[in-house]
Amino acid sequence: MITLDVTGRAPIYEQLCRGICGEIAKGVLQPHDRIPAARVLAKDLGINPNTVAKAYAELERNGVIYSVYGKGCFVAEQKDSAYRRLTEEFRQAAREAIRAGVPKQELEAIVQQECGVGGDVAEQGVKDND
Amino acid sequence: MIEIKNVTMEFAGRTDGNNSGPVLALDDVSLQIPDGSVYGFVGSNGAGKSTLMRLMCGVYRTQQGSITIDGEEVWDNPAAKRNIFFVNDETVQFADFTVKSLAKYFRSYYETFSKDTFDRLVATIGLPMDRKFSTFSKGMKRQAIAVVALACGTKYIVMDEAFDGLDPAMRKMIKDLIVDEMLDRGMTLIVSSHNLTEISELCDRAMLLHKGQMIFDDEIDKIRSGVSKAQIVRKSGAVTRGEIESLGLTVLKHTVMGSVVQAVVKGTEEEIAGKLEGLSADFVELVPLTLEEVFVYELEARGYGYESFAES
Repeated sequence: MITLDVTGRAPIYEQLCRGICGEIAKGVLQPHDRIPAARVLAKDLGINPNTVAKAYAELERNGVIYSVYGKGCFVAEQKDSAYRRLTEEFRQAAREAIRAGVPKQELEAIVQQECGVGGDVAEQGVKDND
Repeated sequence: MIEIKNVTMEFAGRTDGNNSGPVLALDDVSLQIPDGSVYGFVGSNGAGKSTLMRLMCGVYRTQQGSITIDGEEVWDNPAAKRNIFFVNDETVQFADFTVKSLAKYFRSYYETFSKDTFDRLVATIGLPMDRKFSTFSKGMKRQAIAVVALACGTKYIVMDEAFDGLDPAMRKMIKDLIVDEMLDRGMTLIVSSHNLTEISELCDRAMLLHKGQMIFDDEIDKIRSGVSKAQIVRKSGAVTRGEIESLGLTVLKHTVMGSVVQAVVKGTEEEIAGKLEGLSADFVELVPLTLEEVFVYELEARGYGYESFAES
């Protein structure tokens, strides 16, 4: 069950992405489950179907779902939950830091410092998982 | 695509004893409405939204500039006008029509009219076919016109005050129909509304008009990410408006409470955060705005709204 806060401050497509990721994290949506067609979700939530399509494109780019031509969108095999939780927390922290005025260059410097030599290995891991 | 280029429209003043000067309803407005989108017109009362819609549908002739639908000038061009349906917020002209005669009237004009769609929608809503429009409530009139609009099957539908007077169940039904029409045949919808929550839900893009001038036109998400509210704390003394402006930022609003300043500033979060660093403040936090807030602050900055009224 995805709910939107239309008076809220986050863009609707972002709320949709988060909602679907949430359903997957809770196990309501399992790998290879079909997710609602853009038409159905747009009507349910009273929003523009283009916005749903935009959210689905974003989720597909991030490897959360995959689409089969003529059949719709399905939940992809998910990376393990610790991986997802940590990357999400990291993103969240980065957004907050930018909002609080930490310059982008400083964040980039931290990432480079912390990743060090291990950076290449981690990057390889991500590629394999895709 | 609908293309509006440098459109200016001035209504002559009245000389019937009710003297008033000429009104510049639209002042050099240009915008493009991409196919398959839902495009929102928002603006203060009397901003020129309805005038622009009437020009787009060939009701008025442009004095300056041009309006084309898929490359065809719309004025006095029946071929171009067959692609667009105008849901006027006025319905007095239909007073003597019944739903049946209204459908017959529009069917003679729009070759794309679908009797199947019309019958299905009328049955779903339960509209009386043989009662005169003048006996309908405001909401029923809007329903009837919306049904005819959707049945006409035009590529573009223009709805002035789109959902005004419709009950929540009817809004939902019309929105559902719009979703179907968009997905099934790539319909493009242009709506005006004062309900900014509805505009945020429904539209891909929107533009803000004020006193005939276009203030911005962009994707909804970009409009909202183009302005932020900054909370700035500096114990050594509150940050002045001039200080923020000297960093190269446009300030729409600036309020001080002790050492805390709230400033509504234009620019992306990153850009604002970067520039505000130059203030050596103790604490800076940026909060994104809702579409409604962006709208109110943009207009307030132009002297429209309660605060400027109270000050004058």
